[in-house]
Amino acid sequence: MSPPAERDLLALAAIAASGVALVSLLSAASAPAGSSGPRRAPRRIRSGRAATVKTAQELNRAAGTLAASVLADSSVEHYRGSFKNKAMYTPLAVSALTLATSIHGTADMRPFAHKARDATYLLAAATGMIGSGFHLYNVGKRVGGFSWQNVFYGAPIGAPMAILLSGLLGFCSERVREAARTRPRIFGLPAGRTIAAVAGAGLLGTTGEAGLLHFRGAYHNPFMLLPVTLPPVGAALLLSAAAGGSGRTHRFTRGWMRVLTAMGLAGVGFHAYGVSRNMGGWRNWSQNILNGPPLPAPLSFTGLALAGLAALGLMRAHPDA
Amino acid sequence: MSGDPFHATRAHDGRAPDVFHPGGWVPMRQYRESEPVDFAIVGTGAGGGTLACKLAEYGFSVVALDAGPYFRPLEDFASDESEQTKLYWTDDRIVDGANPLQLGGNNSGKAVGGSTVHFAMVSLRFRPEWFKSRTLLGYGADWPLDWREMWDYYTEVEQALKISGPVTYPWGPPRPRYPYRAHPLNGAARALAKGCEALGINWTETPLATLSAPRGLAHPCVYRGFCISGCSTNAKQSALVTWIPRAIAAGAEIRDLAMVGRVEVEPSGLVSGVHYHRDGVWRFQRARNVVVAGYAIETPRLLLNSATARFPEGLANSSGLVGKNLMAQSNQAVWGRLEHEVRSYKGPPSLAITEHWNYEDKGKDFFGGYSYMSQGPLPQLWANTLFSARGLWGESLVEAMKDYNHVVGLRIVGEMLPQESNRVSLADEVDQYGLRIPRVTYSWCDNDKRLIDHSLKFMSRALEAADADDIWIQDDDTCHLNGTARMGSDARTSVVDADCRSWDIPNLWICDGSVFPTVGGANPSLTIQAIACRTADRIRALARRGELNAAVPRQTSIRQRSTEVHRS
Repeated sequence: MSPPAERDLLALAAIAASGVALVSLLSAASAPAGSSGPRRAPRRIRSGRAATVKTAQELNRAAGTLAASVLADSSVEHYRGSFKNKAMYTPLAVSALTLATSIHGTADMRPFAHKARDATYLLAAATGMIGSGFHLYNVGKRVGGFSWQNVFYGAPIGAPMAILLSGLLGFCSERVREAARTRPRIFGLPAGRTIAAVAGAGLLGTTGEAGLLHFRGAYHNPFMLLPVTLPPVGAALLLSAAAGGSGRTHRFTRGWMRVLTAMGLAGVGFHAYGVSRNMGGWRNWSQNILNGPPLPAPLSFTGLALAGLAALGLMRAHPDA
Repeated sequence: MSGDPFHATRAHDGRAPDVFHPGGWVPMRQYRESEPVDFAIVGTGAGGGTLACKLAEYGFSVVALDAGPYFRPLEDFASDESEQTKLYWTDDRIVDGANPLQLGGNNSGKAVGGSTVHFAMVSLRFRPEWFKSRTLLGYGADWPLDWREMWDYYTEVEQALKISGPVTYPWGPPRPRYPYRAHPLNGAARALAKGCEALGINWTETPLATLSAPRGLAHPCVYRGFCISGCSTNAKQSALVTWIPRAIAAGAEIRDLAMVGRVEVEPSGLVSGVHYHRDGVWRFQRARNVVVAGYAIETPRLLLNSATARFPEGLANSSGLVGKNLMAQSNQAVWGRLEHEVRSYKGPPSLAITEHWNYEDKGKDFFGGYSYMSQGPLPQLWANTLFSARGLWGESLVEAMKDYNHVVGLRIVGEMLPQESNRVSLADEVDQYGLRIPRVTYSWCDNDKRLIDHSLKFMSRALEAADADDIWIQDDDTCHLNGTARMGSDARTSVVDADCRSWDIPNLWICDGSVFPTVGGANPSLTIQAIACRTADRIRALARRGELNAAVPRQTSIRQRSTEVHRS
């Protein structure tokens, strides 16, 4: 088999794996708890312990969704870049590991932080930081420097932030999980509010990335306006929740997060339609998946909205979190 | 495939080819020859195609005739340079003068959609001062148009074609943002940018009439590089896929393979229609107004060939200027070799541009200006260039072709000055239709030579600054024809007025690049289309005031009619 064919398969396999993982994550979210497996806890228990573990699992799920998005997206984009720099394999490996870790965490009912998970999430965060540096360097070194041309077509500056956010949310998940007998804190701050702030900031950053790339596409489809209008509202609601007092129910914010979760999933469908708008449509998938809008990118919104929901849930269970 | 478009007309029986679907059709209104239409338009390119669309949308009855075939790009265009020479007007013509023009791909088109079917898509606005070049810059002739008015029409055309351009344009007065974003630069464009930055001048992405995002039924550009050989993906926003579908939807009729040989003049002195050759016979379409939009050679040829006892020197020619002041644009290039691969054929050929010398007047020893752009010749064109401009043949040509992927080039679009001695006249020989063929006479003046010399020296420096070696110059090439029926404010010194209406015959109009008094150092297609849009607006205004020989515009369209012809 020729190397390009191998790479085709690699990219496809990564996308398929991400899809399967995502489906499993989401189905885990909707499956009746306690229906199988010794690790599952009875539902509807609102004890602090159950609530923190549940929130931790939800955060694992959010981190996993982001990791799945990064795995699929970096597979396609770095394949497109011919893995010119060997370091371009790094986000594939790290996001795959983060995804596996998140699946592990989602299934784990124990109220203890897991050292291997902690290490993986920290590695993911570090990868995001370093990746952003690489991408900035790539854009800056092109002729014209930090021009519109280069931020459009150079390495996407915001993309590595998704794996950074995945790592941060995963790390938060472990802190929440180990706080079963105490007030959930992260670096001394109330966990729920901290996670809400992280998810809100992440939504704003992701909006920036979507805004830039949809501007590149000249907003030729009116639906391209949705990911630059709905998420900032969600971010404002989350930041407001983070800054607000206790005792609020955040029903509207929760509803908005569900809208954003759905928007991220719908975005994948819109991007699939976008792929079909290129010459040859899906019949020419091997070229158009690379040319068209990035299929997995909108899942970042889903991941962050899930994190927002987890934070709000924690704040409901622990008003002082 | 759906028939041979060269030997059988496609636009007839109430339908026209659907350029967006292989084998498809769209319903098309048809007009009787015996009943005069408001406008018979000769030519369907940047001028005629645009005008046909706008006039039909304003409710006038329009028949637009083109000598060329009606292509469906998705199925008729091959990825083969030789095959695609079918897009050029290669009928017999005679060229002479001190610098005879090479006629073909750079300056002619014979197809519905005209030259826009194979143009390089470069869509530039003229520098405002050029519209008053005699008064403000001391050369050429003033246009009777105001640049601010043109700025609005440029915007209309840019929106209609969804021009992909830079977020901010570095030269000239402010303009609205281009509707679509610029395309990614290829290796050749990056070399231009590097040279400009080294020499301290601005560069930008070229505003191009090819899509950087989907639009309707058209796909975005796939960067296959066959733009000037006919875009087979419909990303190119030619008149064929933009204005003409709109024109048909609004009720215009397009007649392909219809060569107009003579404009008929009545004893009253008004024109009454056009004689055209189609399906092997000469036919006559009656019209209240005739618009000649055949470009800078065929327009004067038709006007001269339509001479009558009343107009023995040809139509619209009381000034004696029909056919005179032909202007090509200089198109010289500098080529070099880069150590790393460039693969300049990837993508549209001219992805980056500098208009520095169009807007900078200091440091020049010539009038006018020039822009220069990165280049992306396909292999056959490149082999021809190496042979014709560098004299390579045999083993040396084969060796040079091995460097094809490393070649980098810069090419100007330069302003040549209007001279009456540069002209289109009629030869005694006749063509396949029995019509006298045009003689095209062209010589460079000293100013033209100084401009070329300046550009070649400057571009050589730019290539050196981009680390190219083995640099050589291609000093004899031209492109884009304009002039031959210039517009002006005085009937004695021009052929048409600012509305493109002939001074001599009030229902005869000329709407193409022929009307340019000067050409500037920018590709003319956007300006031709902007003038066509303005002309349509003026015609509508004149009709409303009762100053036009036309029916009162109706507001009906083909969509409102029964669609007895369905897509197959």
